[in-house]
Formats: sequence, structure tokens, C-alpha cells
Amino acid sequence: MRGEEAFSRDWDVVIIGGGNAALVSALSARDAGARVLMLERAPLVFRGGNSRHTRNVRCVHNAADAFNTGAYRFDELWKDLCGVGKGPSDEELAELTVRRSEDAPGWMAGHGVRWQRPLTGTLHLGRTNRFFLGGGKALVNAYYRRAAAAGVEVLYEASVERLEFAGDRCTGLVVSSGGREHRLRAGAVVCASGGFEANIAWLRRYWGDAALNYHIRGPRYNDGTVLAQLFEAGAESAGEERGFHAIAVDARSPKFDGGIATRLDTIPFGVVVNRDGVRFYDEGEDIWPKRYAIWGRNIAGQPDQIAYSFWDAKVRGLFLPPMYGVYRGDSVGDVAAQMGVDPATVTATIGAYNAALSGEGRFDPAVLDGLGTRGLDPPKSNWAQPIDTPPYFGIAMRPGITFTYMGVAVTRDARVRRTDGSVLANVFAAGEIMSGNILSTGYLAGFGMTIGTVWGRIAGEEAAKHAVG
Amino acid sequence: MPLDDLFAEAERQMNVCNSCRYCEGYCAVWPALELRTELTKGDLTHLANLCHDCRDCFTACMYTAPHEFDLNPPKVFTEIRTATYTSYVWPRNLPRPLRGAAGTAVSAVVIGLVLLGLSVLTTDGLAFATTTSGSPYELLPYWLMLLVVGLPALWSAGVGLYAVAGYWRDTHGRLGDLASPRVWAAALRTAVTLRHMRGGGEEECAYPTDQPTPARRRFHGLTFWGFLLCLLSTMAAGVEQDFLGIDPPYPPLSVPVVSGTAGGVAMIVGCAGLLALKRRAAPEQGTETMRRADHGLLGALLVLAVTGVLTLVLRETAAFGAVLLIHLAAIVVCFGVAPYTKFVHWVYRLLAVYQDEWEHRTADR
Repeated sequence: MRGEEAFSRDWDVVIIGGGNAALVSALSARDAGARVLMLERAPLVFRGGNSRHTRNVRCVHNAADAFNTGAYRFDELWKDLCGVGKGPSDEELAELTVRRSEDAPGWMAGHGVRWQRPLTGTLHLGRTNRFFLGGGKALVNAYYRRAAAAGVEVLYEASVERLEFAGDRCTGLVVSSGGREHRLRAGAVVCASGGFEANIAWLRRYWGDAALNYHIRGPRYNDGTVLAQLFEAGAESAGEERGFHAIAVDARSPKFDGGIATRLDTIPFGVVVNRDGVRFYDEGEDIWPKRYAIWGRNIAGQPDQIAYSFWDAKVRGLFLPPMYGVYRGDSVGDVAAQMGVDPATVTATIGAYNAALSGEGRFDPAVLDGLGTRGLDPPKSNWAQPIDTPPYFGIAMRPGITFTYMGVAVTRDARVRRTDGSVLANVFAAGEIMSGNILSTGYLAGFGMTIGTVWGRIAGEEAAKHAVG
Repeated sequence: MPLDDLFAEAERQMNVCNSCRYCEGYCAVWPALELRTELTKGDLTHLANLCHDCRDCFTACMYTAPHEFDLNPPKVFTEIRTATYTSYVWPRNLPRPLRGAAGTAVSAVVIGLVLLGLSVLTTDGLAFATTTSGSPYELLPYWLMLLVVGLPALWSAGVGLYAVAGYWRDTHGRLGDLASPRVWAAALRTAVTLRHMRGGGEEECAYPTDQPTPARRRFHGLTFWGFLLCLLSTMAAGVEQDFLGIDPPYPPLSVPVVSGTAGGVAMIVGCAGLLALKRRAAPEQGTETMRRADHGLLGALLVLAVTGVLTLVLRETAAFGAVLLIHLAAIVVCFGVAPYTKFVHWVYRLLAVYQDEWEHRTADR
């Protein structure tokens, strides 16, 4: 359908966004009998938002199957969710998310998603998380195929600039498409347009100039335009304004859209120093998959938002090879100089680290081996081997933001709440734009897709119910 | 692109892939990549020949152009395979007059004329008479038939073995490692079932569009099994004649006729199907060179199959001699130039599958 024709029609449900939460909302609303239009900002080749870069979903399951190696019951997922950061923001909605995650995989498979059996790269999460065959873009592709077959209309490069309200109702959307502005009416609107992580100016309000050094792992389209419009309409905010999921990425990676390939897994195998050449955090605190998501924040808190990972020949080949290659030298000072850190300080830092090794325990990267330091601040609690075997290696790291948490507060039926205690009657939210209701500070791998799927279904069904009856 | 640049580009792309690994569920290429951190030309050649060009990885990739990482594994692997096909044979290039579709056609005509001359000299062209028995020996006597088909076949087998040795040296090393019966059993099982073409899920690969479909695996299977049935037909005829003393022509319900007919028809359907699928495949995920090579092979197999089936159908008519002559000329040319065409893909691919099975056994230990 051409844009002009889509804009001249009346729609029951308009979905803003083109990623997982948007697609699940669209399919759910369509399944419920609504006439559905999706507005995706990105061109077709970049459709899918952050979901393009995802890989798995974390859901409750009471038994092993071909794609999960064991049971992962409600109580355990709930405990894991409470264990990250400060725990869930809104316990009632978090509980609902975990509860409803149980039938998400069945729904997903029923709408075209294919799974991957646990393999080497996925084994450590194989019990708790289900992996999409081919990753997030393959999932997004499958949903778009299903949407087309079901009669959901999709407009690409269609950017929602403004939402118009009368009282508690959204009465129109102003959409920029094909170089023109169009006005669109809909019975109900689902906002599934992601966070605001690609809006550096917005991040800067909370982080100051540090935000200029952040890399954004997803597309540049997530600038929070719709989120800002909802706040302007009186929407209550949920989640911390400084809340985000961030990891350590290669400092050479692109500013936007580097995705998974720029991530670094070297940290637990050596030591990490900051701009000034000194250590600042326990590199061996916990097994890597559990600590993977705190290092973005760790580095964001360091001067100039940069850190350097050092390791030696002993641990080569134990982690994924960085895509841009590594710095390499005959001494740690040599490697430090190549990366622009003071060689003398780094040599002293690593000398002090080597001198503080307890040597008690056997190095084993698969478990908490207890091979730690003694009397060192900060300590390295596990996998602390001497860094003394040439060649030496190093890499420079930046914070890579995956998505921001601050969004709009919602009710149990995904309606957007307002600061005055009322709700927006026909505006619903799903996915990262409302993840702050559930996540406060920490992150649980695969749970973003759980939120998008569970709340996409709720928002899609409720929006259809509102519009069609 | 110069070869060094090609391998450097492949290495760049594979380093990104090795940092991502989302495709590991699709096919054998990605788990094989995960076993390696530093990639040699031999590694890249192995991965390229392990790739069966289904393009699932491209469809699933968030880093394809216009993304700045600009990944296109199906294309870079295709380019390396093209290099493989010319790197290991001797001579590395056919003499110019023999190259391409025109060279093949001219060769076929020349060979056809020579065979016609030989026929007249040896059998008085009995096969061209209005009444023939349908025996191929009315075209050429048995010994001469064996000679004109056997010589190019032996040549190709020799060149093929030479290529096997060179390829294996570059991608693996020790020639003696090719002698494991257990690895061969696993590799052949994978090869004859076209297991890799099933993709990684409950469904199939998504070639040529983005919809999972068994079409390519089935058409490829028909071509492959059809080809084997045609070989079986020839060998069965040899056994009947030399060991059982039954001379051709064979009755409709004999092994040579049934297997030849079934094989020929299967090849025609398979090749036509593959050609049709190829028309729908995205050109930017492949190369024009490989497209021509694919069309050349499928076209040649179609000619062999169609003339073979016609030889059977028309064997008691006045057209028999002419059709058999064309079929025989096609066989002689195809056998002679096979190592210099896409036909050899199965040799390198089988070695890649063997290497893959070998690595799984070594990695498990």
C-alpha cells in the first residue's frame, strides 16, 4: 500500500515502532480482528530497532525441551530478576511480566519464530534463555513475513513527530513520510518506539559531557521523540533517568549500530585500568555472563569514559576474538604506549597486581576458581593469574549503551498513566519505552525481549479491544 | 580482485562474524569458524567450500550494506570458491579456445565430427541406417567406445586427484589424514543426505528468497541421485555385457534402461528446477562469474540427460545414430573439461565436509 492511501484511511490500531514489541503488538491486535497500521521510522533494510541486535528471550519453563537444557521455574526467574541492581521498579508489573513469560515462547513459535538448539556460543544461557535461530533480525524478518500474510500494513521511513490529544484521548498522529507531513487518526495507539539512547542531547541532561563518549549499540533512530510527546501529554515517568543497559565495547567501534560484534569479553582474563593507568573495579567479581552488563556503567563512571583491558599470552583463545584485532607488544608498557596510556603507571599497576597474587587455587575459567589477590584494592577475586608471559595484549574500551530504562508508567493493561493519576484512554505502551516499570538499574540477559513480547501482547490485545470492542 | 585482497576482505568479514556468532545455528560454517581465532588462507578456503550458499546468514545479518561493516559472506565465499576451482587443477586454465560456452560448443562439434568419421571407418555408420537394433556398437565398436570415453575420463580423474592433494595440503596438511574410514562414513552420510541444506532449524534453508523451503535441497538431490543412476546404468550395462554375456540393446525392464531413464528424468527435473530457483536469487549475494559457471554446469547436465533419454526413447528409429552421436560427443567433452568447470564443486565440498567431520572428532576428544 502506498503511503498516501494508508494516510487517507481510518485505522483501528496504529503501532508506532518497528521492533519486537511493535511487531508483537501489531500481530496481537490483528489476531484480535483490528485493522492495523505499523509506522517504522527506519528504511526496510534497517527495520526492527534494537531487536535486530538481540539474540534470546528469558522465559519461565517447567521442563527441559529441545531448546532449553533444563527447567527454569517462576520462583527462580523472579529471584534472578530481584537480584539484579535494585530489583524491579514496580513489583506488581514485574510479577505479571514473569508470570506471562511462560506462554510467550509458544506464541512466538506460533507466529513464525524459529529456535536454535544450545550450541557452544549459547550453552552458558541454554537452560534459562531460548535463542532465536539466526538472532534478532531473523526473528524480526519472521514477524514481518507473518504480519504481511495477516494483512498488517507497514509503512517504512514513516516517523511520528507529534501526538495530538483532547482530554485523555489521542486524537491524531502527525507523521513525516516521503518529505511531507500527514495527519492520521486511529482508534487506539500503541507506542513501541524504544528508548531515547540515541538522543545524545537527552542523555547529556543526566550525564553531562560524559554522554559525548558513549557509543550507542543500536540504530540512531531511537531518539525518544514519542516518549517526549507522551511526557508532554502528562504521562507519568517510570524508571530511573540514568538507568540504562550498557556493556564494554571496543573504543574503535562506530558511534551507532555496532551491535553485538563490538563487545569485548577480555575483562575477567586480565586487568582493567582507567585513563590514569590505575585499576578501579574487581575484574573477577563473578562469572562473566553475570557481570557482562555492569562494565558499561563501570567505564561510564571513569575519567574520559575510557578503560583499557590487559592480558597476556597465557589466556589467548579463551574468549571471543575482538573484531578489530588487539594491540600487542613485548611488554605491558609497550602495549600501553600504543593505546596512549602512560606506560610507567601501567607497568607499576600490573607489577603491584602480580605481587599481590595469592596463588591459591587452580585457574579455571568455567567456575569461580577462587584464584584471587591478597591485600590489593580493588581486589581481583577470581581468575587472577600473573600477567607475565609475552606477548602482551590490550584493548581500549568505551561504554556501549544498549537501551535506556526511563519510560512511561503503565497500568496492568499497558495503558499509559498520567501524573494526575488518570490514564490515557487509548494510548498503550510496550517494550523499551515502558521497560522502566520493570527494570530499575541492573539487567538480566534476554529480559528486554521478554518485556517486549509480554507487553506487546498485552498492548496489542487491549488496543484492539478498545478500538474494535 | 587480486587474491591477497580477496582473502584479506574475507578475513575482515569473518572476524566480525566470529565476534557475533548469531548464525551458528544455520550451518556447519559457523561452528567451524568458532574453532578458529586466527584465520589463514587455508582456513578461509575451507570455510568457503563448506558454505553451500543458502544465504540464510545474509538474510539474518544486521551488518549487511548499507551498514558500514558491509558483510556479505555468501558473496565473499563464492569468490573464494571461484579461486579454489582454478587454483588446484593442472593446467590452471584451459587453453583459450576451449574456455566458456562457445569453447565447449565448438569442442562438441569437432568431437562429434571426429566420432562420425570414426563411425564411418569402423562400422560403416550402421547406427545411422533406417533400421537399427538400438545397439550402441552400431555407432562405434566396443573397444573404440571404451577408448573415446575412457581417455577423457582418465584424464579428469588424474587432474581431480592432483587437485585433491593440493587442496588438502592447503586446508588441512597431512595427506594421510584422508584415510580415516570413520570420518569418511560420517562425511559421506552428510554428503549424500545433503544434510547441510536442511538448515539449522526444524525447517529448511531459505534459498532463494527469505522463505524457508526444501526446493533447492530437493532439486539438488534429484540432480545428484539422477547423475548417480545414470552412472549406475552405464556400469550395469558393462556388467551385463562383460560378465553375464548379454549384449545390448537391453529390454525396457532391465537395470540399465530403468536406471538410465529414471536418472535422466531426475536430472532434467533437478537441473531445470535449480535453474528456475537461480533466476529468483538476489544477484548482489553472488557473482556473475559463479552465475555463469552454475548455468554452464546445469546446461551441460541438461544436454547430457536429454540426449541420454532421447537415445533410449529413439533407439529403434532412424534418429538413433544421430542422437547417440550427440550424446557421446557431449560425454566426451564433459568428461574432458569437467575439472575446469563448476562440476568439481563436489570434490572440494566433500573434502570440506570430511575436514569438518574430522575437526568435530578432534574437538570432541
